[in-house]
Amino acid sequence: MKIEIAENKGLKVIALSGDIDMHSSPELRKELMVLVQKKVSPLYVDFRGVSYIDSSGIATFVEGLKGMMAYGGKLKFVGIPERIMEIFCFAKLDKVFEMYGTMNDACNS
Amino acid sequence: MKEYAAITVPSNPKYLSVIRSVTAAMAGLYGMADRVRDDVKLAVDEACSNVIKYAYRGDTGKKIVVKFFIAKAFEVVIEDSGIKARPECIEGRNLDDVRPGGLGVHFIRRTFDVFAFDKERKKGNRLRLIRHRREEDEDRDRRE
Repeated sequence: MKIEIAENKGLKVIALSGDIDMHSSPELRKELMVLVQKKVSPLYVDFRGVSYIDSSGIATFVEGLKGMMAYGGKLKFVGIPERIMEIFCFAKLDKVFEMYGTMNDACNS
Repeated sequence: MKEYAAITVPSNPKYLSVIRSVTAAMAGLYGMADRVRDDVKLAVDEACSNVIKYAYRGDTGKKIVVKFFIAKAFEVVIEDSGIKARPECIEGRNLDDVRPGGLGVHFIRRTFDVFAFDKERKKGNRLRLIRHRREEDEDRDRRE
């Protein structure tokens, strides 16, 4: 998995690519929790390059969201591939996370 | 005839990608559609992650054996030499209770019809996962 953190016009974006699994999710957790501790909001996660996610990856985002909710932060997912969306839906998390098709949609929400 | 393949990998999470690749390849040989193949790959990954996490308590120097049997059903057997699982305690979280963890078992159970630990195994665990052929499994593109 590759993690790129970018700031563009004041927007903080984590762009992910590759597989998010038990091997890679600790690194993602570390990066995510640094941003949560800094109380970043909104925080955008670009899923367009993600090819796979397992329960450890999902748990990482649930933990991040819970941390952000403590300070009223917004976590916004962008461009989730269909197969990964299906996993979020099965886990009933499509109603928990804010999900958008494009960065524009996410920014304008 | 039952076709068979097996892999042995270290109990290191970096080898989960290898397990996923082989699982997907075997599911492809069975003739599963891509969508079902992804579900099977996720379920086997979750089961092996549980071996690392619970049976080996994170010890990356042990072994995981994954065996695939292709016949009428698609069967995966996962063996370890770690701490005995307590099947009666294995339960996913309520999906309405949003918190980290507790999803892996749901991913396994929704995909496989049989999720059973071998009670006869003296040391370690042998988990048997069986998916009976379903209409949705068929890779129609391959058949045509």
